Amino acid sequence: MDESLDTRSVILAGAAKLLRQNTFEDVSYLELAELAEVSERTVYRRFPTRSHLLEALGRWLEEEYFPIPEFHTVDEFRDAVRARFRAYDAEPAFAFVAARGAALSPTGEESPATFTAAIIAMLETTAPTLNRRDALRAASAARYFASPMFWARMRTGFEMSADEVYRAFDVAMVRVLPAAQRPSRAGS
Amino acid sequence: MSAVAAEPSATQEAILSAYAELIEEVGTDDVSFRLIALRAGVGERTVFRHYPTRVDLLLATAAWIEATIFSRQESESIFDVPIAIREAIEAYDRRPELAHVVAETAMRGVNGSEPAPQRAHLDAMLRREVPALDDAERRDIVAALCHLDSSATWVTMRRELGMSGRDIADAATWSAEAILDPIRDLGAPAT
Repeated sequence: MDESLDTRSVILAGAAKLLRQNTFEDVSYLELAELAEVSERTVYRRFPTRSHLLEALGRWLEEEYFPIPEFHTVDEFRDAVRARFRAYDAEPAFAFVAARGAALSPTGEESPATFTAAIIAMLETTAPTLNRRDALRAASAARYFASPMFWARMRTGFEMSADEVYRAFDVAMVRVLPAAQRPSRAGS
Repeated sequence: MSAVAAEPSATQEAILSAYAELIEEVGTDDVSFRLIALRAGVGERTVFRHYPTRVDLLLATAAWIEATIFSRQESESIFDVPIAIREAIEAYDRRPELAHVVAETAMRGVNGSEPAPQRAHLDAMLRREVPALDDAERRDIVAALCHLDSSATWVTMRRELGMSGRDIADAATWSAEAILDPIRDLGAPAT
């Protein structure tokens, strides 16, 4: 089991390496097999289609390159999102793949919902009086605006820098998160 | 951008709709050009002539899906946008595989489809209806509405929060209303 998990990570790390020079479309299973020192069949067994590969790679890149710090308050959440957008700007090829992977029709892998769960928990502690429906609406909006998808759309469609993306995120959050309407920490 | 091409010809339309059908039946990965040609009733070479690579074909198909299957009436007022978003989410919910395709192609950066196609129209409505906004304020509102009015909203809320189509439509509409609420009373110009 450990060995199989390793093979998987080695293949994904190889794909990340190839992404530095190529688009995802140019990453070949043969090259992945060579980099991971496994057979091409092994790569196909782990990732039967390119959708499987893209989804797994997007998730792996998020974990390896864009880990989310713990947050409990709205301010900590905002800081975490700002750091994430800056990290996306530093590794745009990886961030676009993360956004693409998250947009795909799920291939059946369990999705680790830790970020979503953390947003829901944050809302429960900061706005305990929020009714269930508003809490769901606010959590889903916060999750969506904090995603690599938002960064990708703002970067391509609006030519925004990381800090401008953060500003647009914050404007949306002040409006959709009732609990976010407190003044934010000065100068942060 | 590449996706905003001229109207497809009848042949192109046959190819694009054949591919869209096959995506719903078997997914984007396993569809060969041969199968697409067969379904469209054209030769395989015709498909290649119009769409030399798989990416060309996918982007053209995503644009066609947006323009036909997920087409929408243009809102006349910025304050109608939440209603348009509700209708769009309901349409995505009826054709989930196609919604995923449209969302994914919008996330490809400069090699993808136009990620904010409504930008100019939303900007024009805001300029007209809420002229008090400065450029930065207006851009942030347009940005938020463009993001909400997209299949990625439906994808994220379904995948990450396990929401039903009805709950997603509700949340997206509510969010759009929340974005617009603070500018509701800024006052339109006397007309």
